[in-house]
Amino acid sequence: MTKTISFILNGDEMTCDIQDHWTLLHLLREELGMIGTKEGCGNGECGACTVIVDQLAINSCLYLAADVQEKQVQTIEGLAVHTGSLHPIQQSFVDNGGIQCGFCTPGMIMSAKALLDKDPHADPEAVKHALAGNICRCTGYVQILDSVAAAGRQMAVKKTTHEAGYSDPGSVIREPGDQTAGEVTR
Amino acid sequence: MKPFTYLTPATVEEAVSLFGQHRETARYMAGGTDVIVKVKEGWMGPDYLINLKQIPGLDDLHKNENTGELTIGALVTHAMLEQSLLIRSEYPIIYDAVSNIGSLQVRNMGTIGGNLINAVPSADGAIPLIALDGAVLLKGPEGERSVAVKDLFVQPYETVLTPGEILTKITIPAQASRTGSAYIKFGRRAAMELPLIGIGVLLVVDEDLSTCARARICLGVAGPTPLRAVKAEQMLEGQPVTPDLLTEAGKVAAEESQVRDSVRGQAWHRKEMIRVQVRRMGLKCLDIIHQKARQA
Amino acid sequence: MSEYTVVGQRVPKLDAAQKAMGRAEYIQDVRLPGMLYGKILYSRHAHAKITAMDVSKARALPGVHAVLTGEDIPPKLRMGFYKDNPPLKADKVCCFRDEIAAVAAVSEEVAKKAVRLIEVTYDPLPAVFDPEAAMEKDAPLVHEAHKSNVLKLPWKLHYGDVEAAEKQSAYVVEERFTTTWVTHCCLSTSGAVAVFDASDNLTVYSNTQIPSLAQKDFLETLGAMGLKGKRVRVIKPVIGGGFGSKLDTYAYEHIAILLAHKCRKPVKILFDRKEEFEATSTRQPTVIYIRQGCDKKGHLTFRDIRMILDNGGRTSWGATTPSVMMMPITSLYRVPNVRYDAKCVYTNNTYSQAMRGYGNPQATFAIESSMDMLAQKAGIDPVMFRRINRNEPGDETPQGFKITSCGLGQCIDAVEKELTAGSPLAEGEGIGYASLIHVGGGARIYKSDGCGAILKMDDFGKVDIFTGGTDMGQGLDNMIAQIVAEELGLLAEDINVVHTDTDVCPWDVGAHASRSTFVAGNAALGAAKKARQNLLAYAATLFETAPEDLVMKNRMVWVKNDPEKTMPVDKLLRKAHFSPGGTMLMADYFYDPPNENMGKDFRCNLSVTYSFGVHGVRVHVDKETGKVTVKNYVAAHDVGRAINPMLLEGQVYGGVIMGLGYALSEEVMIKDGQIKNPNFRDYKLFTAKDAVPITAPVIETDDPDGPFGAKGIGEPGCVPTAPAVANAICNAVGVRIKDLPITPEKVLAAIQEQSKGS
Repeated sequence: MTKTISFILNGDEMTCDIQDHWTLLHLLREELGMIGTKEGCGNGECGACTVIVDQLAINSCLYLAADVQEKQVQTIEGLAVHTGSLHPIQQSFVDNGGIQCGFCTPGMIMSAKALLDKDPHADPEAVKHALAGNICRCTGYVQILDSVAAAGRQMAVKKTTHEAGYSDPGSVIREPGDQTAGEVTR
Repeated sequence: MKPFTYLTPATVEEAVSLFGQHRETARYMAGGTDVIVKVKEGWMGPDYLINLKQIPGLDDLHKNENTGELTIGALVTHAMLEQSLLIRSEYPIIYDAVSNIGSLQVRNMGTIGGNLINAVPSADGAIPLIALDGAVLLKGPEGERSVAVKDLFVQPYETVLTPGEILTKITIPAQASRTGSAYIKFGRRAAMELPLIGIGVLLVVDEDLSTCARARICLGVAGPTPLRAVKAEQMLEGQPVTPDLLTEAGKVAAEESQVRDSVRGQAWHRKEMIRVQVRRMGLKCLDIIHQKARQA
Repeated sequence: MSEYTVVGQRVPKLDAAQKAMGRAEYIQDVRLPGMLYGKILYSRHAHAKITAMDVSKARALPGVHAVLTGEDIPPKLRMGFYKDNPPLKADKVCCFRDEIAAVAAVSEEVAKKAVRLIEVTYDPLPAVFDPEAAMEKDAPLVHEAHKSNVLKLPWKLHYGDVEAAEKQSAYVVEERFTTTWVTHCCLSTSGAVAVFDASDNLTVYSNTQIPSLAQKDFLETLGAMGLKGKRVRVIKPVIGGGFGSKLDTYAYEHIAILLAHKCRKPVKILFDRKEEFEATSTRQPTVIYIRQGCDKKGHLTFRDIRMILDNGGRTSWGATTPSVMMMPITSLYRVPNVRYDAKCVYTNNTYSQAMRGYGNPQATFAIESSMDMLAQKAGIDPVMFRRINRNEPGDETPQGFKITSCGLGQCIDAVEKELTAGSPLAEGEGIGYASLIHVGGGARIYKSDGCGAILKMDDFGKVDIFTGGTDMGQGLDNMIAQIVAEELGLLAEDINVVHTDTDVCPWDVGAHASRSTFVAGNAALGAAKKARQNLLAYAATLFETAPEDLVMKNRMVWVKNDPEKTMPVDKLLRKAHFSPGGTMLMADYFYDPPNENMGKDFRCNLSVTYSFGVHGVRVHVDKETGKVTVKNYVAAHDVGRAINPMLLEGQVYGGVIMGLGYALSEEVMIKDGQIKNPNFRDYKLFTAKDAVPITAPVIETDDPDGPFGAKGIGEPGCVPTAPAVANAICNAVGVRIKDLPITPEKVLAAIQEQSKGS
C-alpha cells in the first residue's frame, strides 16, 4: 500500500510517498538517492545502516519508513552540510586513522554521534558498549575508539561554551523512561 | 521484502479488531527487530502488519510506591530498561540481561514484549522476568487474562497466546527485602551475542543474611523454552547459602537442564557453564545483598 | 629528526573526508541507466547430478529479460587457474556453492522471484567432506574426469637431509595441527556491473584487487563468447574491504558479463550477506603434521611438514597457498634441513582463495606452536629459543631467500620488554610469543611482479599520478602521495592518486603479497624521480646553474648557495609550458623488482626483501569456563621504514584483531558441505567491545631496495597471532590447543583432560 509521510530529514521538512513495506534504508538509498547510509547485512547485525531517529541510533534496515512519520531523522549526509565543514566526529575519524575502507564509517559515526550528543564525556567502556553493534573489519577498532574519544573531548568543550553550532535543530533529548511516575530522576 | 499493508491502530481494542478482520494474514509488530528479519528472510509473509507502537501507555515503566509492584509496558524497549536507574539499582538481573541484547541499535528498537513473544530459547529478556516471578497481561478477542512468565512458553517460537491476543504489560510483584539477583550471558564474544547459555539467579535471604528464604535459578538455551531449575532452587531454600552449597546447586541445575548440541555450543560445555555460573551468580547475589545491608 | 618532510608523517587518508561524509561510491552505489539486476541460483546439494532443469516459469515472469543455465556457457569458459570451474554448472554440482542458473530482470525483487521459479531435479551422489577420507581408494570422486581427488600440483620440497638431521637431534617434537575455514567479511558485499557498448566492447565495474588480471580474465571470457579482439575496461568503485577476497575473478562477474551481452543492457549483480558467506571463498583450511628438532644448545636441526588441504569442490587460489607456506617453513628461523609435502584434495565442501597472509598464518600456527613445544622439551626459555634461531641480515635460507634487512632480533627485544613491563602474572595468566617472516618486496608469482606509474604535473603545481596499484582501504593512495610529494618537494595534498580505471592506469599484478607500498611505491618513486630530474634540468637553465645545486622543497625550487634565486614550482611549471616550444611535465615508470620465480625445486629469491615481526600476548584463562581473555597484545614489525606511521599502525591493529578472531572466535561452520552460520550473528567477528589493548612497536631497518627504505606490512599483522595466543594459553594453564579456533569448549576440555591425567 502507498501512503504519504512527513518527517524531518537532516533538518529539512520532507513529505514523500512510500510503500508500507519499505525500510527506512530503502527510502534513503533507493528512493532519495542518499548513498551515505550503507547496507552491510540487512539484518541488524553489522550497523552499517545506522541512522539517528529522534536522538536514538537505529538500524535503518529493520526500521520501516512508515515509522518515521512526524519524527526527526539524521543521516551521515546531515552532518557536514550545515556548517560547510566536517562535524567534530567526522574530523576526528579523519585525523586519527578511524577510517580505512570506509564502508562501516557512516554508521559508525552515527552511532558515535548518538552517544556523544547525549554524553560527550562517555568513558571508553561506554563508547565500546555504544559501538558494539557496528562491525569493522579493517581497523581492529583501536583508532575508531581513539577517534570517538578525541571527538568527545572536543564536543564537551563546545557544549560547555555553548558553541554547539554543529548540533541539529530541535534536539530536545527525550530520556526514555524519564517521564514515568516511579522513575528515579537523573 | 514481500509487500504488506501496515496498519496503525490507536488502541489495543482497535488492534484486536483489526486482527479479527484479517486473521491469519495478519501479524502484530512492536519493535520489528524480529518480525522484519523474518519477513525479509521469507520465514513469514503477512499481508497485514499491525503496528502496536502508536498505542498510548504501552511503554509505561514505573514502580507503584505503595504496593512495590513494577510495571513494564510491553513496548518498553531494551534500551529504556537498560538506561533506567530504577532498573539498574533495584532489578540488576533485568539490567544484566537486557543491556547485552543485540546491539544498542537493536535495543533502541526492540521491546521487552516482543522479546517474550518471539519465544526463542535464548530470549535474554525472559530469564529475569521468570526469576522475579513476573506475570504478563494478555488482551484479546475473548477479554484479558494474566499468565505467569514461566508459563508463557510452549516450545521454540510458540507461546500460550491465542490468535489475536496481545501482550500488553509485565508486572513484577514487590521484591522482598534482602533480595539479590544477577544474570550472565555466556557467549564467544563480548557483544552482539546470542547466549550459548543464559543463567539468572535470584536469592532472598533471612535477617541472618545467610539462610535462603527463596531461590530462583532460571536458564536460557537449556531447553526448548526458558526454564527453572526447581530442584536446585529447593536445595538452597531453608539452607545457609555457602559457596559449597551453591556448587552443589549448580550441579543439580546442570542435571535438570535439557541442553543440546547446536551450532552455537556443545551440550557438555553448556552443562559445565550452568554448574559454574549458578555458583558465581549466587555469590554475586550474596554480594549485592550484603552490600545493600551495609548501606542500610 | 627525520631527513624527510612528508615521508614519516601521519597524513590522514586522502579519501577519509569523502568517506566520513558518506560520499564515497562503492559497488552498491553504482547505478547505470537502464540497468538490470542479476541473481544467481545455487545448488541444493553438495554432490549431485542435475537431471533436469525447467526455466520456463522464470522466463515467463514479467520483467525477466534473460535466464541462463550451464547450457549457455561457452565450452571454453572456465574460471580459476586449474580451469575446473565454469561460471554456471550444467551436468553436475560438486558443492552447495555451485552456480547453476542466473536471471536478469528489471529489479532485484523480480530477479529473486524468477530464481525461485526455476525447477531443478537432482540425482544425489555420494559425497565426501573430509580431505583425508577423500584420499582413500574407494572415496567418491568429486570430478570423475580427474580420476583422483588429489590435485596434480607440485607442492613438495626437500633441502638438506631431514632424516640424517633427525638422527643427530637432541630433542624432537611431533604434532598434528588443524585450521578451519574463516572468511574475509568485507563490510561491502561483492558485486559487479557489466555493460557492453555498441561495438561489443565491455566495461566491468567491480571491486577487484586485480584490475589488470581481471581484465585478462574478462578478455578470455569475451574470447570464449566469440568476441575476440574486443576491449575490456575495468573500473573499480571504492572498495569496501579486500583482504585477498578479490584476488580472483568470480562466477558472478562472468555471469554479469554473459547476462549483459544477452540483454544488451547493463547488468548488476550484488551479493547479500548470506550469499557473501556462501558464495565467496574462504581461507584455505589445513591438516598439518609437523616434526621439528634441535640440538643440545637449542639450534634447530630440521623441520618436516606434511599437509593435507581441503580443496573443496572447485579450485581457486587456495590450492596455491602451499607456495607461500614454503616461506615460513623453510625460512622462519635458521633451519638447515627442511622437508615439505602438501596435497590439495577435492571434497564436496566450499573452496578457498587468498586471504591476508596467503597460507602463512596456517603454517606459522603449526611452526610456532611446535617451536614452544620444542623449547619446553629442550628446557630453554621460549624467547631465548627464538633468539638463538633468529634470522640475521646476510643469511641465505635453504630455499635460497637472501635476507637483506632483518630486524627480527630487535622485534623480539621490543616485544619482550613491552610485555614483561606490566604487573606480575596473576593466577590463570600466561604469556606467549610467535614470530613471522613474510615477503616484503613483492613476490614473483607471475612472470611479472611489476607495477606501472604515469605522472603528470599541471600548471598549478599539482600532480596526478596514475598507478596500477589498488587502494582497498589499506592506504596505498597515501603511500604513493607521500612518496611522490617527498621526491618532488610538494605536500601530500598536492598529489592526486588515480587507480580506478584500466583505461588510464598502467598494468599491475594486483594488491597481494603485501607488495603495494613496495612495488607500486617504487614505481611511483621512479616516475617522480624522472619528473624531478626534468624539472630541475629546466630550472637549472633558468637559474644558470647545475641541477645538482638546486633544492626542491615546500613547493619551491631554489639555488642551494644562492637562496635569492628561487621560484615556486607552479610558476616554474607554467614557465616551462607557456614558453615558445614549451613542454608539459610528464613521466612514466615501470618497476619490476628483481624477484625470482620459483624454480623446479622451488629454490629462488622470491622477494627482494622480507618483512619480519614478533607478536607477544598476555592472556587470562578462566579454568572453569575455558574462556580466554586477551589482557595485552604487543606486535612489533620490521617495516623498513614507516611511510605513514598512523596508517601503518592501522594495518597492524586491524591485522591483529583479524588474527585474534582466527585464533579465538571465527569459523565458517560447515556440516555435510553446508554452511551453518552464513551471518554476522553466528560468524563471530570481534566487536568494539572485544577490542583489546594493542601496542605496535615499529622497527625501522631502512631497507636498501624499498621506497625510502619501506617494506610491505599489509598482511603480517594477522600471521603469528594464533600461535602467540596458543602459546600464551599453554603458558597459563599448561594445555596445548592444536585446532583453531581456540574456543572455550576446546580449552575447558583440554583442562579437564589434563586434570584427569594428573
